[in-house]
Amino acid sequence: MAEVSLKHIYKVYPNGTKAVNDFNMHIDDKEFIVFVGPSGCGKSTTLRMIAGLEDISAGELKIGDLIVNDMEPKDRDIAMVFQNYALYPHMTVYENIAFGLRLRKLPKEEIHNKVIEAAEILGITEYLNKKPKEMSGGQRQRVALGRAIVREPKVMLLDEPLSNLDAKLRTAMRAEIAKLHAKLQTTFIYVTHDQVEAMTMGTRIVVMKDGYVQQIDTPKNLYNYPANKFVAGFIGTPQMNFFEGTLLKKGDDVIVRFDNCNVEITVPYSMLYKTEPKYLEGKDKVCIGLRAEDVSLVTGGAKSGKTTIKVVVSHKEELGSETLVYGDVNLNGDGYSESSTRIIFKDTSEVELKAGDVVEVALNLDRIHLFDKETERSVLPRVPEYNYLDCSIKDGKLSFFGTEIELPEALRRDDCQGELLIPTNAVTLDGKLSAKVLSCEKVNDRYLLTLTLNGTRLYAVSTEPVDAKTVNVGIDLKKLTVTVQGEQIISPLAEVNKIDCKFVKRIAVKQVEVKGKTKKEKSVCFGFEVADAYFEAEEALTQKILSALGVKKAFATALKMECGVDDLMISDNGIAARVEETLDYGAEKFLKCVVGNDTVFVKTDREYTGDVFLTPNFERIGVTETDRDIKIV
Amino acid sequence: MIDLEYLKMSPMQKLWYNVKAFFTRLPAAFGKFFKAIPKKLKKLWLAFTGIFITIGAAARHGDWKTRTSFGVMGFGLIARKQYLRGILYLLFEVLFILYMIFFGWKFLAKMGSLGVGEYTEVWSDELGAYVYEYPDNSLLILLFSLLTIFIMMGFVYAWYQNVKGSYLSQQFVEARIALPTTKDDIRSYANENYHKTLLSIPMLGLVVFTILPIVFMVFIAFTNYDKAHMPPKELFTWNGVDNFVTLLGGGISANSKVFAYTFGEVLVWTLVWAILATFTNYVLGMVVAILINKKGVKCKKLWRTILVMTIAIPQFVSLMFMSQLLADQGLINNLLLKWGWIDSPIPFLTDGTIAKVTIVVVNMWIGIPYSMLICTGILMNIPEDLYESARIDGAGPVKAYMKITLPYMLHVTTPYLITQFIGNLNNFNVIFLLTGGNPGSLDMQYAGKTDLLITWLYKLTVSESQYGIASVIGIFTFIIVAVLSLVLYNRSKSVKNEEDFM
Amino acid sequence: MTTKKYKSKKAGERISLAITYVILILISLIWLIPFFMLIILSFRGEQVGMSADYLFPKQWSFDNYIKLFTETKFLRWYGNTMLVSVVVTLIQTVIVLVTSYALSRLRFKLRKPLMNLMLILGMFPGFLSMTAVYFVLKQINLTQNLLGLILVFTASSAMQYYICKGFFDTIPKSLDEAARIDGASRHTVFVKIILPLAKPIIIYTILTAFIAPWGEYMFTSFIMLGDPDKFTVAVGMKSWLDNPTMASEYFTVFCAAAVVVSIPITALFIWLQRYYVEGITGGSVKG
Repeated sequence: MAEVSLKHIYKVYPNGTKAVNDFNMHIDDKEFIVFVGPSGCGKSTTLRMIAGLEDISAGELKIGDLIVNDMEPKDRDIAMVFQNYALYPHMTVYENIAFGLRLRKLPKEEIHNKVIEAAEILGITEYLNKKPKEMSGGQRQRVALGRAIVREPKVMLLDEPLSNLDAKLRTAMRAEIAKLHAKLQTTFIYVTHDQVEAMTMGTRIVVMKDGYVQQIDTPKNLYNYPANKFVAGFIGTPQMNFFEGTLLKKGDDVIVRFDNCNVEITVPYSMLYKTEPKYLEGKDKVCIGLRAEDVSLVTGGAKSGKTTIKVVVSHKEELGSETLVYGDVNLNGDGYSESSTRIIFKDTSEVELKAGDVVEVALNLDRIHLFDKETERSVLPRVPEYNYLDCSIKDGKLSFFGTEIELPEALRRDDCQGELLIPTNAVTLDGKLSAKVLSCEKVNDRYLLTLTLNGTRLYAVSTEPVDAKTVNVGIDLKKLTVTVQGEQIISPLAEVNKIDCKFVKRIAVKQVEVKGKTKKEKSVCFGFEVADAYFEAEEALTQKILSALGVKKAFATALKMECGVDDLMISDNGIAARVEETLDYGAEKFLKCVVGNDTVFVKTDREYTGDVFLTPNFERIGVTETDRDIKIV
Repeated sequence: MIDLEYLKMSPMQKLWYNVKAFFTRLPAAFGKFFKAIPKKLKKLWLAFTGIFITIGAAARHGDWKTRTSFGVMGFGLIARKQYLRGILYLLFEVLFILYMIFFGWKFLAKMGSLGVGEYTEVWSDELGAYVYEYPDNSLLILLFSLLTIFIMMGFVYAWYQNVKGSYLSQQFVEARIALPTTKDDIRSYANENYHKTLLSIPMLGLVVFTILPIVFMVFIAFTNYDKAHMPPKELFTWNGVDNFVTLLGGGISANSKVFAYTFGEVLVWTLVWAILATFTNYVLGMVVAILINKKGVKCKKLWRTILVMTIAIPQFVSLMFMSQLLADQGLINNLLLKWGWIDSPIPFLTDGTIAKVTIVVVNMWIGIPYSMLICTGILMNIPEDLYESARIDGAGPVKAYMKITLPYMLHVTTPYLITQFIGNLNNFNVIFLLTGGNPGSLDMQYAGKTDLLITWLYKLTVSESQYGIASVIGIFTFIIVAVLSLVLYNRSKSVKNEEDFM
Repeated sequence: MTTKKYKSKKAGERISLAITYVILILISLIWLIPFFMLIILSFRGEQVGMSADYLFPKQWSFDNYIKLFTETKFLRWYGNTMLVSVVVTLIQTVIVLVTSYALSRLRFKLRKPLMNLMLILGMFPGFLSMTAVYFVLKQINLTQNLLGLILVFTASSAMQYYICKGFFDTIPKSLDEAARIDGASRHTVFVKIILPLAKPIIIYTILTAFIAPWGEYMFTSFIMLGDPDKFTVAVGMKSWLDNPTMASEYFTVFCAAAVVVSIPITALFIWLQRYYVEGITGGSVKG
């Protein structure tokens, strides 16, 4: 059992730079996790935090069932392999491997057996009496691996272990490490800057950049469904082709116009259903991504109904089995430098291409990727965040494509035409509307349902697979957004309330009866001060906050309490709040109140005016440090 | 752009450009320095107030155990079962109180006057003679007052730590976080507190035998401790900045002008000496190293060993031997006279100017092997491909030396050069054992023509007992050395940042 | 054409090599002659003082050595110096290593201030504080006492951390980290990993510490003032040459003493030269 869980892990340096930002991940037992990213992205820092070589600024790190934040590396039951091997130069290979065991005061025989066993696994038995200096790089790395595995750690950490080796050895050692993982059946965490290594070895890959996690997924998913342009460009060789351009919807087709050249292609809208509508208006710039293998040379004028464009060839890289051809979509461009019109494609045909040739290539549009040019986020995500629909409001009813929904009082607006945004997670599977199921696709641990409701496409997310042909769906009205000419007339209800608070210590005096006499007994308790109210905190919560902030700093730090709309209850005493209005959503009612500088929403069953008192549900709150914006709980 | 223009310049232009750049940058550097002061002060102030905030918090929120610690050190810790630290605090408090009662306060009380009791003659029947009784001794009063102040400062610090520690352990108990046990405490001294284990004894030595004496010396500079005031017979007392005034030539006594003149002369020679000694040794040592390392030269180890022998033979032996050889009636003069090469003895050590040259030359004889050794090590580290590419570019050996070896060496050995320079400023042995500062000079107070500040100080204290003045000179020497080395260090740092070699 | 050029290049190289040898021989002579003179003078049997105008003795003899060991206190001084040297070497090596390790490897709040403090302290003319040291020693009855001298020599050894720390800095940090993950405490890292790798700098530190008391004059003469029994060789031998009459009588004895003092140290040095060079270049230089 060696699961590793990282919750809201941060690394903040004294000068304020955040090397790692809100790293969240759960690593299962026996997984092979690879952290990959360009240098300085925080991958090594994260690994070193897991190892205990670097302090964790905030967050909770668990190995197995233990919180190990403040544990010394030696007590964490981990082993680590370093980039420069870090073998002790004055010890023989045998002593190097045995060092950790000797420090743990194991019996001599046991040490001997374990060392021999490890050496056999790695095939270094014959070098046991040599010093590291006399060995080659590959052998040294084997010794470093041996030193790590001999302790039978719960988690193996490998920090760019292969980057000091030459290309051939690297490939060999890659296989070796994969074999080792299969044999040892422990959790591996592996850091590399080489995406090939990451793709070939990891069961799951964490792509990082500038201290932020970009995407966590299996190699295949990373390759096929990159969450943003960075991941798309980072994973896969040759790099994905990126073109800048715009999309314009015309009927059932979308016209993709490439910038800096006169290329236009037509894509059926059915392929781009998941795209946010605003990108289809021909205004917002997008990045069009296509991998080299999705571009193929059209030979012999055989047009197989695929979209083709003209490309001028600039040079090529012969790889033996295939040829990488560099060209430019802009017929006047040069294909050497990375530009928004350069194109690389793989050519397996026998046609000899020369620089300057203009050829026709076919694009496999099934596998097109689209990214926002500014934010680089995928605009064709695997699981769309929202359903985008046109709608109208008339007589208190919201209608879209033949579906009509009665609007509750809180959302009643004047008649108008507008756009409706239904978040994917606002479509529930327990409503009254009947919808047809088009497909059910597994995405990691969830299922993406494609439904049609009166002929309108609707996406929903479910945790269970759905086999039925039709399902009944409902729509959570709290989460809807309706926009009329750029102005939001219906906005979603905030799901999380944020309230300023402080962590305080109080001394409680109790009257206790001891031997017939009443005595005052003092006890110290901890809690939160929110506005003027004080709430005693549970033991576990107290411990979490004290260990995250330290006994000395905990009371001087400004905090923000986060609690869901359902987790604030109206009670006789508690946080004093002024009611601004009551929002009636039909089935549910909500109060909009003001606490200090914060606006909060509270679920209610009747109307209130004036002041109310609120009590949060402490089992489900979150706490954030205001100054550094770090999540604590 | 600037780099390109810089590259086009001739060496003289480059030099001029660098000098100009140095001076144009100077105001900005000063500005930066002064701008940093308020920030530093604020930080200091925050740290200072932080102490009182902690004490205040402990006083207000502390329970009775914590509050008792204000008087009985370590109580809060002992009461919370942190016996080791608690008992150490308590022990320290008891020792401190005993020290103050039986020793410390007696001296501290007299620090203002440095003692008033004149010595008295008392007839002793036992001995049948007069016995002198010295009730006070200014020197000991000053020394032990300072020691007492040091110990008091240590006590205040320990007291603060004790209050803080007590309060912290209270907070831990309240937060229901397990307190470190005595065993944990002991273990931590091999781990996160290992630096305390390692450094406590070296630092104690440093405080008692270096810092305390230096502070003592600084205080002596403000007293009239000299030949006429030698405790215990004659007490000395505070005399303000008189010594400083005297040394700067503003004093009333006739000595003052001479002192000022001597100080100037000695200072100039000290600086000249330090520069000459450092650079001759360094450059020639490098040349020797290059010669030995030259491709094709055989028996490299033999040549090196011959030179290394001078390091091994104690410096004082070779210096004293040299001083005998080079004396007016020494062997060398005698030999030269006999062979008829000269008519009268060459005053190697007795003519001011010649003596200075002799010193520098002898110092080269002593110092070159050192710098040769260091340069050898680094020369071997210069990547061979640098020379190869230079050769391909058509550079001859001299050019290769000027463009590769010298810049590389300078870049790498700057810290060594600076320490050498500072060492030479305070080089006692070479001067004292070779010439003893002689030849003497009538214009100078207690100093010869080859005296450095440090040897002059030696004479002023050991033979002339001019402690007050000597301390002032010591302070000035420190200021000069400190300013020079700070400038050099900063220069070398900026050099490193701006043009990292390769 | 090319062969000719090649040949001429060879010839040029040969000439420059020849010049190099000539210079090297010259240098060696300059450095060796004083020592030969020292040795030769120590065998001079006749008493002519310093004013002799010849180098080679008219009468070779061991008289000077015999006189040295029988009539003077040299043997005692030698013993004093050896004792002080050995003890100082032991203590100083430990202190320097320990301080350097702490400053190079451990991270604590006062690390930088401490390094700056020691840098600044090093700039004071150490000798001026001698009066204070003298009185501190006098209070604990350690003046004119070898123990006092040892205290003075070792007390501020921490300030010599610079070169040793520089050497430690070159040992990769990942070794410490690997050892810590293997289960070593900081103490274990120091003893089991760093120290075995620091052989050159340990030897360098031992050598410098050992040699210092042999050549130190300033402090020793001050602390041992007036008690010839407690002199070290440096102070004692200097006392022979302090006045001209003594000097002319003792000059040849001085030479003999110098030879006796130099032999063991020189041998030690030549033996350990390699480590000395490794230590000093590894430590004093930041590449």
